[in-house]
Amino acid sequence: MSELPTYVLERTFNAPRELVWRTWTEPDLISRWYGPNVESIPHKMDVEHGGLWLHEMKWGENSNYQRAQYVEISKPEKLVWLHSNANERWEVTINPQMPNWPRILLTTVTFETDGEQTKLRLTWVPFEATDAEIACFQDAISGMNKGWNAGMALLEELLAELQGEMQA
Amino acid sequence: MQQITPSPQPENLDAVFAALADPTRRAILTQLANGDASVSELAEPFRMSQPAVSKHLKVLERAGLVERTTDKQRRPARLKAEPMQEAVKWLEEFSRFWSSSFDQLDDLLEELKKSES
Repeated sequence: MSELPTYVLERTFNAPRELVWRTWTEPDLISRWYGPNVESIPHKMDVEHGGLWLHEMKWGENSNYQRAQYVEISKPEKLVWLHSNANERWEVTINPQMPNWPRILLTTVTFETDGEQTKLRLTWVPFEATDAEIACFQDAISGMNKGWNAGMALLEELLAELQGEMQA
Repeated sequence: MQQITPSPQPENLDAVFAALADPTRRAILTQLANGDASVSELAEPFRMSQPAVSKHLKVLERAGLVERTTDKQRRPARLKAEPMQEAVKWLEEFSRFWSSSFDQLDDLLEELKKSES
């Protein structure tokens, strides 16, 4: 089996690791940052091996449901869970806009102390995925990582140009 | 997060991603932004054979990024920007979810540190 596509996101926070850990594992705290411009509601958050994190995000009349199941908790260094899109009954569903998007993403967050700061690293890997799901994820990542920023700049330029032409 | 997509998205987003992943195809789109072009006109700057350009055009057509007009002599290709705009938007939302969430987390951590000290 070849290596699975992995999406990596890193960020350094200006706070001690124990505090950052709390913001990821306490429902009262996670609801205050997880999800921009939405009402962020953890319905269940059992931070233990096999425990569930059921999260709803509301904006306007819309709701998005996410279901996560913890598979590793190594306080305060590492959190691993299986992340899926869900319906309102918290059953795993496909993403209606992206049918080939991996149904389950193995999500790993590591917290590393760096002086007074905390280095956070988030990775996503398709879990028990079909070839189509892996290909879709690979496409999205390669688009995003290599040259996608350049591609985006190019596209923006292109679209601006087009709009200019339409006005001309 | 990938699922936060308040605006309706096209179903062929996978095809759009795949189509845009290739530098030659992006260059073809740029050229088409300057106006409709036939296969032979497109082939020129790339020093590619016409069948090779046709192949790229088919991928772009399937993704809905390009349409071939019915001018029987040349069948010039024409850029259709809408699906591309959707793909750009989708990707922007995807990465924006986490970066905006992390901005909020930054603020929260500052607040928590203050209340603890």
